[in-house]
Amino acid sequence: MTTPEATAQTSPPDSGITVRVESFVGPLDLLLHLCRTNEMDLSKLSLRTITDQYLTHLESVRFQDLETAGSFMVMAATLIYLKSKLLLPANPDDPDELLDDEGEMLKRELEERLREYARVKAFGTWLSEREAEQTLIYGRTTAELPPPEDVPLEDLSVHLLQRAMQRLIEDQKRRVPRQVEPNPLSVLERMSEMVELLRSTWSLLFSSVAGPERIRAEWVVTLLALLELVRLGEARARQAELFGEIVIERNAVSVREPARMIEEPPEIDEPRQDEPRPESGESLNA
Amino acid sequence: MPEIIDVVEALLFASDTPVEASRIQEVLDLESPAVARELVESLRGRLDAEGRALQVMEVGGGFRLVTRPEIAPWLVKLARSRTRSRLSRPSLETLAIIGYRQPVSRPEVDAIRGVNSDAVLENLLERRMIRIAGRKESPGRPFLYETTREFLVAFGLRDLNDLPKVEGELIVPELAETAAAQLTEPGPEHEETAAAADPAEQDPGSGGDRVPASS
Repeated sequence: MTTPEATAQTSPPDSGITVRVESFVGPLDLLLHLCRTNEMDLSKLSLRTITDQYLTHLESVRFQDLETAGSFMVMAATLIYLKSKLLLPANPDDPDELLDDEGEMLKRELEERLREYARVKAFGTWLSEREAEQTLIYGRTTAELPPPEDVPLEDLSVHLLQRAMQRLIEDQKRRVPRQVEPNPLSVLERMSEMVELLRSTWSLLFSSVAGPERIRAEWVVTLLALLELVRLGEARARQAELFGEIVIERNAVSVREPARMIEEPPEIDEPRQDEPRPESGESLNA
Repeated sequence: MPEIIDVVEALLFASDTPVEASRIQEVLDLESPAVARELVESLRGRLDAEGRALQVMEVGGGFRLVTRPEIAPWLVKLARSRTRSRLSRPSLETLAIIGYRQPVSRPEVDAIRGVNSDAVLENLLERRMIRIAGRKESPGRPFLYETTREFLVAFGLRDLNDLPKVEGELIVPELAETAAAQLTEPGPEHEETAAAADPAEQDPGSGGDRVPASS
């Protein structure tokens, strides 16, 4: 909503304002900007104009964090409160006196804070200019001289000590990395995996079973599993050349039930070699 | 034997921090810091007269030997980098507040800026532009912050008196006409509004006193 005063004094809020609020470092910064664009005296704030424009700005903003959003909202609340007081004149007989004592105090406080902030901002700009001048000047930043034998303690602060301590602790943490290990590989599982694969295909490549990442443990386990399967007569393995690919083939005679094998460790499997066969026949039929 | 003025030059060359007149006096066995200062001044005069690439700069309570600004383009080329890290606007404003009101607590800084200054203060501490000066004896006993020597060096200031005076040199165009009115404003009222801004900061004297304490 725009009061007649607002439209008369300034460009309408919906057309004239193009500045994004993100570029303002705080609510006072935004308020100061609005005062300046309206050529407003900081000791004679026009609350109607400023409140409307401030709120219009807020609507177009997405805040990065709650804290910043909060500070902008607090200012908005103050402005709305003050503006609400304007709508209800404290003394109806005297049209000039629009705010009651509390409102007047709030307004003065706001004006004082704005003036203070304007000073800070100007000083910040001054510092910025000085900093820019200093970037053209180069001096030594580290000494060639050996460090003094006694450390000058006056330059040390609690903060630096705390930092140093924190850094030490973090270094300690980094030294012992927490290792996330996968479940230990099991030869038996790998065996049943291979048997499962051999059910649907006649031949397998060793590398495809062991994994392309060439993790040492994987390869060792796969090789052990393969050797065990060969020993049990479940599979055959061929390696055409030294260090070449190993081709694993299903042993034509039989494919055992892998579940059965997990239950019965292959080490003690030998004497019962005949036993599982009927079962495996069953499962093949099913 | 090298001339004493050459030794002074070497001292400034070799040190990574501004060398105080008293330190020069100590190293060279001079009778007073004033003599050391004279030596530095004659070194400055010599460097200026010869139009050397280096100049003596009085900064952070001591003297440094630095390059002249005109040399900067070549140094940038040498470094193969244009960027020298600069402080952000919030950082500069926060430094401005601390520069004038030090030692100052975070709630006070927050009240003036209207936003939370936690991250900014952390950054300034990290860059050693400010340091913790102690704790304020007010609720929560917040840390008090003050500027450091590194701050003075970074901004080329001899000491805190080099900061512009708020009422005098620091002229904000928008404020120019109101400044006079503000000065004639009755004092008690001023304090009242300042106190109302932050009830925790009812420290008499910290409200109006903006002249930096030289520490």
